[in-house]
Amino acid sequence: MIYSKDVTSLPDLAHQIVSPRFDVITQPVDVLSLQNLVMYAIENGIPIVPRGNGTSGWGGAIPTRGGLCISLSGMSEILYFNEFESAVTVETGITWRDLLAFLGRLGFTLPVYPSSATAATVGGFVASGGLGIGSTRNGNILKQVLGIEAILPNGKIVRLGKLLLDPKNDVLKERVDEGNSWLSEELSDAGLGSPEQETKLFTGTYGTLGIITKVTLKTIPNLQLIPFTCSFDSIADLARAADRILSDVKPYFIRFLADNYTSKLRAVNEYESGKYILTGALLDTIYQNEDNIEIIKTVTDEEKGQILDDKRAWFYWSERLYPLRIKRHGPSIVPAEMLAPMRMLPEILEKTKAELRNSNVAIEGTLSNDGTTSFMVWILDDERKKVSFTIGWYRSFQIASLAERFGGLPYAVGLWNGRHARKFYGSDVYNNLKVMKKKLDLNDIMNPVKVFGGRVTIGRESMLLGFLLGFIVTMIGGWVLPGLLNLGWLNQFLSSSLFQFIYFPILGLAGLVGGLVVVLITRFMRLNQALAIGIPVLRILSKLLRR
Amino acid sequence: MTKLDFVEKYGQENEPYVCASCGNCTLVCPVYSELKWESYGPRGKLHVVKSIIEGESEFGKDFAHKIFLCNLCEHCTSVCTTGISLDRFWEVARAEVRERDLLPAPARFVLKSVKERGDIMWMGSADRLLWMEGVEELVKGRILKKAKVAYFLGCNVSLKSQLHDVAQSMVKIMDYASVDFTLLGEKEVCCGAPLSWAGNLKDINEMAEKNLAMIRELGIETIVFSCPSCIQTWSEYSKFLKEDKSIELLTASQFINRLIREKRLHFEEQPMITTTFHDPCISARVLKATEEPREIMDEIPGVYHVEMDPSRQNTRCCGSHGLLDVVDPVLSSKIAERRLRDVTVTPATRIVTECPR
Repeated sequence: MIYSKDVTSLPDLAHQIVSPRFDVITQPVDVLSLQNLVMYAIENGIPIVPRGNGTSGWGGAIPTRGGLCISLSGMSEILYFNEFESAVTVETGITWRDLLAFLGRLGFTLPVYPSSATAATVGGFVASGGLGIGSTRNGNILKQVLGIEAILPNGKIVRLGKLLLDPKNDVLKERVDEGNSWLSEELSDAGLGSPEQETKLFTGTYGTLGIITKVTLKTIPNLQLIPFTCSFDSIADLARAADRILSDVKPYFIRFLADNYTSKLRAVNEYESGKYILTGALLDTIYQNEDNIEIIKTVTDEEKGQILDDKRAWFYWSERLYPLRIKRHGPSIVPAEMLAPMRMLPEILEKTKAELRNSNVAIEGTLSNDGTTSFMVWILDDERKKVSFTIGWYRSFQIASLAERFGGLPYAVGLWNGRHARKFYGSDVYNNLKVMKKKLDLNDIMNPVKVFGGRVTIGRESMLLGFLLGFIVTMIGGWVLPGLLNLGWLNQFLSSSLFQFIYFPILGLAGLVGGLVVVLITRFMRLNQALAIGIPVLRILSKLLRR
Repeated sequence: MTKLDFVEKYGQENEPYVCASCGNCTLVCPVYSELKWESYGPRGKLHVVKSIIEGESEFGKDFAHKIFLCNLCEHCTSVCTTGISLDRFWEVARAEVRERDLLPAPARFVLKSVKERGDIMWMGSADRLLWMEGVEELVKGRILKKAKVAYFLGCNVSLKSQLHDVAQSMVKIMDYASVDFTLLGEKEVCCGAPLSWAGNLKDINEMAEKNLAMIRELGIETIVFSCPSCIQTWSEYSKFLKEDKSIELLTASQFINRLIREKRLHFEEQPMITTTFHDPCISARVLKATEEPREIMDEIPGVYHVEMDPSRQNTRCCGSHGLLDVVDPVLSSKIAERRLRDVTVTPATRIVTECPR
């Protein structure tokens, strides 16, 4: 079960559309054994879901149709590092923590790594994309990827972009050459560029087009790190200060914590509790840092904030890797995160608080260098309260809709936000992805239903409900429709004595057929259609019951 | 739903649900590192408890055995992303194992031995004096003497002959520094820590109190321990120490470091040796006493200290804590071997440690 979930717990109702668990968990230890596994899955039509450590909350690594879970944790070697090329190549099962420790010993660090770095794998973050520690200066993780190696859904091994390896130890060269020449033709058929130019097909797409096995990432010198933290009484002051700090200082990382987040932090003292916190770090030379910290102090002062001492700054810096501490106040969480323009921060916060006024929420976010901010809404709930937890899941979709209203996007696509995929990736890119998905994965076995949607696995209870619904609607229809349509001969027949003997069996048969038709429809239902039915139902129930 | 009294009785009912399944704990677990099965790691075991609560699994013999395949090394607790005190959870789970009469035989033996003999090895109070051989002059008149400082040896140091030199060295150091100290001698009994490891949480206070009653009578202000687990146990389970904060509990290295800072200890030049320090799990992760041993080594001329990786709060367990050495000696020694491999990649010729296991 552990491998069938991520950091969030799904309500039981969700398992009416996605399978609750994988059939088999596997942990390959090298690329060749992984390739064999993929070939086996292709031959037998078994769905495959690649998985890092499941530290995300968007369903990218959970099962949808059972099948094989491929945990990549067994592939965690550091393969290549060259300080002159500022690059490191790793197997994708390595955790960010281990990679950072390795680089740290050599005086280097990473431009971006996730806030779940202590357990998240390199492959997981690269396959899902997103903002992390360092994104304030360096943007999305996908910009830090120089090259990848992947196994395609047809079993071929390919390398895209600039994957750096020691040629002496490259045992896969022949297979890669074969795979790359095949992929070049396919890309060219689809009107796309060469494998060197199309890394983005495989990064940020949740392993739907292939399993990433190696990644070359940019590295940066580990200069002097100076954390800083300021507290504010209002989000408007914080946003103004953040904007000025971003343009004047260009910090390595900035994160904000809203009042409802700091009031829940255990290790926050009385003064900081309930305040708006802006915290981050500079990563520069000693001289630049000295100048920049003065600018931060001045800006904070001018924007009616207060700069906290070094001890508090280091506390918040170490807490950057533990955002899930907030889960204690649940004990379950419903994730909701959006990417929105930073200038809208006060309005979004106000609106979110208003929309979720009856919920226990904690809000935080990371600022990016492109004027956007990730806006994470931790909706705290209790999965043991089955009904309210199920209905409460509506709020996750509510935040995604809110993001749209503010010109933003859901933070990630994964499983649940597939209906926003076109907007998320951009229409052209999404079309290219779809074309390649069809070319590479004809039988839809590679991480099915994610990103592109797809047929869902309807549970027994839902099928029974569908059957009953079809049966009852057909019966009522058969009873009422003749009157409504003014079919004289039928009405005459209904009032005749023969009716008792013939019409009821026919109506029963029609009801049976109606029920079966609905069951058939549910069998072919796709995720987005299921959500299109489910979300409004949850919305209505939410409004009724939460009132 | 299956009623699991222990989770509610000890206020742990939320913990299986607070877990985010991130795997931080599993990645650092010494038992998981060896066995590589998720159900032996902390995340897996917590998940099993959740499934027992929800009626999907049973609290059977197999799970009870897994609960005891754990070093209680506090590593999972220290890295938990949601702040679950996992080691406390494993202790109360062991209490439930005991309630269900599923204790492994070595754990049952430990409980019996502590109850009947006052130690973990079925020895006796007279055996607690054996370590004094060779240092009779230094300990003469110190047993149950009124003093400001008490040296509490713990079962391992007083009863294991291979650790007697630890106690002998400690009294030599105290004597050299002219510390007015006392010993509980044959009146010393187990601190109570093994009771928590074997699932008897309710009698720990009583064991602690047997020692603390004497300590109070002797007017002691500072207790120096050879074993960090004794400090942890008394801090957590002694009702008296929770209320009365006037008695200071120090590890041997904390006390020796203090003596150095007070200029009561001086070192002579000696031939150059390279050392590496193995941080005991409890010292590093619970007591946060990682710097004092290093500061002591820095003071000794001729000692060149190199760090092991991992060290300090990330130290790797030696494999012996939490009764694993008696419940599964083979697994315990495999974990120890892994730690020794950390040493072999350093240039050190001596391992220094404060762990009495």
